[in-house]
Amino acid sequence: MSESDREGDAQVDVALIARWQRGDQRAATEIVGRHAQALARYAAAQGVREAVEELVQDTFVRAFNSIGSFRADSSLRTWLFTILKRLVLDRQRTERRRRNQVELDETHAVQEFDALDGMVADETLVRVKQAVDRLSGLQREVFALRVTEGLPYSEIATLVGSTEGACRVHYHNAMRAVKEYLSDD
Amino acid sequence: MTDCPNGLMRDLLPEHALGLLPAAEAARVAQHLAECATCRADLVLLKQVRAAQSLGVPRMDVAAIASALPSAPATSRPAQRIASHRWFGGHAWQYAAAAGLVLVVGGGIVWRAMPTGEEARLADSSRVVVAPVESAGVREPLPADDGISFGGGLSDLSVDDLQALLGQMDSVRTLPSSDPESVTPVIAMNEGGKTL
Repeated sequence: MSESDREGDAQVDVALIARWQRGDQRAATEIVGRHAQALARYAAAQGVREAVEELVQDTFVRAFNSIGSFRADSSLRTWLFTILKRLVLDRQRTERRRRNQVELDETHAVQEFDALDGMVADETLVRVKQAVDRLSGLQREVFALRVTEGLPYSEIATLVGSTEGACRVHYHNAMRAVKEYLSDD
Repeated sequence: MTDCPNGLMRDLLPEHALGLLPAAEAARVAQHLAECATCRADLVLLKQVRAAQSLGVPRMDVAAIASALPSAPATSRPAQRIASHRWFGGHAWQYAAAAGLVLVVGGGIVWRAMPTGEEARLADSSRVVVAPVESAGVREPLPADDGISFGGGLSDLSVDDLQALLGQMDSVRTLPSSDPESVTPVIAMNEGGKTL
């Protein structure tokens, strides 16, 4: 997506926010429609398996309650991703305290996913999913944001708290690791 | 396993797979793909990754999520502005001018109400001198009907008044300091010529 296309897309969000602030509740529904599924995918990339819709809903509620703090110098979607990421971390902390035990390790998570989705998903996609799940947390996040959402490196860097150059390296390393995993079959 | 040596094309592949590239760039990538088997394979993989990432992700119920959102602000209230880099929404000079006006007018009023520097200094001196002298019992302050008045200046005083005044001034060996901390010792010296 070119820079002007991205700016145009961002302007649509800004215009929708302004409409909502003027009292048009339908603008909020349009905003949800534009970003809800991307947020759900991002949640999945963060390892969230349960209550995804509740998490996405909480993200939007929090966003609309603090819409005044949204700075239009980053895209609304990136801002929503940031909120969701904080909520995921909060949820993980709460869960850890509640269970008083360490989180499931990544291998366990992959096996859990396989058991759930292997029956219905194409076998190739399951293998690809396994390859992605084996990436480090940061690699997986950068890879998902780039491949699944098409975010530019500048916004990915903002989200993960890194530099554009480092994110580019993470992406290429992740791509190489996925290809290696699949070629081992 | 090899990577395509064309780093620019490799970088554009994710956006090409999502159909996000503008037409001109998409055409360049398509031309490259026609010649590069590695990038063709990468493009297939990227599409698979995207599909795989959607596995197990539930479809979001947009209406349900939207129904939980806070109500839109009332139309009668001014809309909350989206924060921007422009201070106060671009009206910074108006706020600055208003603040300056308040300072000028308010400062002028306060200045006119305050005593001049000399008046303030004398008022301060009288405060710090009179109180310790009374408390130390050195000398009673001059009563208002003492017969000595500076209302019309020294030229209005009679010779007797001037002599009485000079006599009183002679009895003061040291002028009190304006420093409150040192007032009491200085006055105390006048009592017996010794520091207490």
